[in-house]
Amino acid sequence: MSGTESVAFDTPRRERRADTFAMWVFIGSEAMLFGAIFLVFLVAHIDFGPAFAAASKRLSLPLGTFNTAVLITSSFTMALAHGLALHRRWRATIWALVATAALGVCFLIVKGIEYGKEIAEGLAPLLGLPFRYAGPDPVHAEFFFGLYFAMTSLHALHLIGGIVVIAGMIALWGAASPANRLRRVVAIGLYWHFVDIIWVFMFPVLYLINR
Amino acid sequence: MSELRKLTFGYIGLLALLALTVASSFIDLGGFNVALNLAIAAAKAVLIAMLFMHLTGTLPRLAVAAAGLWLIVLFGLTLIGR
Amino acid sequence: MTNVAMPGTYLGDGTGPRAWLLTTDHKRVAWLYLISLTAFFFLGGAMAVLMRIELATPAGDLVSDDVYNRLFSLHGIIMVWFFLVPSIPATLGNFLLPLMIGARDLAFPRLNLASWYVFIFGSLFALFAVVAGGVDTGWTFYTPLSTLYANGWVSTAAFGVFIVGFSTIMTGINFIVSVHTLRAPGLTWFRLPIFVWTLYATSLVMVLATPVLAASLILIVLERVFGIGVFNPDLGGDPLLFQHLFWFYSHPAVYIMILPGMGVVSEVLPCFSRRPLFGYNAVAISSMAIAVFGFLVWGHHMFVSGQSAYAGVVFSFLSFCVAIPSAIKVFNWSLTLRKGEISFETPMLYALFFLALFTFGGLAGLFLAALAVDVHVHDTYFVIAHFHYIMVGGMVTAYMAGLHFWWPKLTGRMYSETAGRIAAIVTFVGFNLTFFPQFVLGFDGMPRRYHTYPPEFQFWNVLSSAGAVVLAIGYLMPLFYLGWSLFHGARAPDNPWNATGLEWQTSSPPPPHNFETMPIVTRPAYAYDMKGLEHERFSPHREEAAP
Repeated sequence: MSGTESVAFDTPRRERRADTFAMWVFIGSEAMLFGAIFLVFLVAHIDFGPAFAAASKRLSLPLGTFNTAVLITSSFTMALAHGLALHRRWRATIWALVATAALGVCFLIVKGIEYGKEIAEGLAPLLGLPFRYAGPDPVHAEFFFGLYFAMTSLHALHLIGGIVVIAGMIALWGAASPANRLRRVVAIGLYWHFVDIIWVFMFPVLYLINR
Repeated sequence: MSELRKLTFGYIGLLALLALTVASSFIDLGGFNVALNLAIAAAKAVLIAMLFMHLTGTLPRLAVAAAGLWLIVLFGLTLIGR
Repeated sequence: MTNVAMPGTYLGDGTGPRAWLLTTDHKRVAWLYLISLTAFFFLGGAMAVLMRIELATPAGDLVSDDVYNRLFSLHGIIMVWFFLVPSIPATLGNFLLPLMIGARDLAFPRLNLASWYVFIFGSLFALFAVVAGGVDTGWTFYTPLSTLYANGWVSTAAFGVFIVGFSTIMTGINFIVSVHTLRAPGLTWFRLPIFVWTLYATSLVMVLATPVLAASLILIVLERVFGIGVFNPDLGGDPLLFQHLFWFYSHPAVYIMILPGMGVVSEVLPCFSRRPLFGYNAVAISSMAIAVFGFLVWGHHMFVSGQSAYAGVVFSFLSFCVAIPSAIKVFNWSLTLRKGEISFETPMLYALFFLALFTFGGLAGLFLAALAVDVHVHDTYFVIAHFHYIMVGGMVTAYMAGLHFWWPKLTGRMYSETAGRIAAIVTFVGFNLTFFPQFVLGFDGMPRRYHTYPPEFQFWNVLSSAGAVVLAIGYLMPLFYLGWSLFHGARAPDNPWNATGLEWQTSSPPPPHNFETMPIVTRPAYAYDMKGLEHERFSPHREEAAP
């Protein structure tokens, strides 16, 4: 079989088409996962709107906005990597991938700083940490922060997965044929952009809508 | 390379929408804040999907349409009882 | 001849454990699944037998209430997620899908193997939960019982199910992409065997529903391990929301379990009545309709849970609607038999039993879809009987039909036809003896999930327990005669049933990449009325007579 990864395909072109489709089906599947989590949040928000609004004001809007910009930029560099790989400019492709992964790490660090701040302020109702919330309706505020940590950490796990895959791809770069390099860049790109889209919805839902 | 121009346009558009959505949260529009924020998020998602993810071809669109339809079912039928 | 590994076929292509455990051949991955699923089937079955022995008398004399709770919970968890959901898709589906669409393998062979390892990894968690002391929440993990009160290994079991979900999604993606991109030249959608249609519909449900289950299980684990109380009523969390998310997966999962069985029967019935499948298009489209409608009915599990009356009425109506495509299939299968040259080989016996049991169980489902009747029989043995008629009488019977139908293709050997027929009949008798009494018990008001009961229920319970023993014998028999045939069975010809379908055009067992020359399709799926197929059929009895 010439240049295909799977014995099932005759040509790399058909295989790439199947790859892209598979990634979109996977993304559809992931969308259902996050959709269910968003639904949990929506139901809680319908029930306890004012308490959630007050609690969400305690999140750091500057850090959240900065992080959104970081993730959008990482999507841009990932799209660049795809464009460069199409033109077989491999060295530049690697640099774009490195930039993407670095921006992902930057997002995680900022997110970690946010978590640290919230834990220090006693806003993290997990693992038995003290919850000290001075605002109105602390019971439902606790619910909000629980959901906040659940949703953002699930997103962060997806981002970590993306970074690990990019690192693995770069490690195996030399051994891969040009067709396989392109396939992998396309596949990880689709995933990365999807994780970005999730954040694009999570950011206003957690930080803005309740203000 | 018109491809690069397209990507840059998308990038700047996304940052502009981010600025818009953050700014809108400081203005009290009553119930419209929620709608506006979600509309902007949807616009951003469309930009990313079309410009960065090259959402073309029947099969990928089929996958996205199916997920969209099933999300409507999940949200719709869960919320009818409330 | 005692050599299982036949040279030149996929079975002879490397024989060490390494060649099997690192294979990417879909046919070998199917075997890996087949062996692991068989083990789980008998593990879950053993728990069922223990429960039936306990229920032979009204008093709780064999196991304590706590142990009984763990038995039915683990029986459910193992049978649903570690047997029924992957059963036909991961074994027969894995083996046959590429053959049926004329491909060398699935689109992503390594993903296919990975899905098996993920399955095994997840099953280790479940097995650990079994050994360490069990789970007592029932297979449904309802909150707040599972999050606040249960003290078994809930997180471990839930995490195992969560991981197995990924294996399901991997299989689903692989199937969907393969059907779209790897069909042989000339194989249009409406020339696909119904088995492929049902696998496609199943995969759709797997890919779109499983993540919602994953989300709800993650939230349970987060609540138990990290103390994030999403479903905790003390914080304003909504336990009912868990039921919504759980059944958004678990009702469609019922169709994950039954659709492939419908596909198997759609292959077997035309072959042994020598007639094209009646109403092919209607059967194909109703498979997709079941997959879609199946997502609209989950609230009928929650009629008495406190959802609004309005929601109850909507879900009740939609539940009746989902009966339509199922009925379309039953009528088409029946009409396929009409004026056919019917012969009763083992697969056909199982398929006919499927038809009877599925119809019976399906009709009982209409009772449960009716709001008022459901309130009466909710959480009684009526429900148990209903879904066992679909899941065991329907799905497992279809699985046995498929296993016997394609056994010559899987192994290149014929099994003993006499033993096969006896096992089929024993299974049918044992099944009805086990589960029909449970309809009566449920209608009389015996609730599910109790290890003791008032003495007036004993008569039907004794019948049911006796049936369970017969049923167990019926399921153990194939283990022996199929196993024996692996080493001593007569060599199977390429097309022993003289069936249509691309999988019968290659050798038995198939070569490593399925076809010597890639096939081109020019005919519809069930061309049993066309010329060229009337040469004499293989007779297993005659072959057996020769030493």
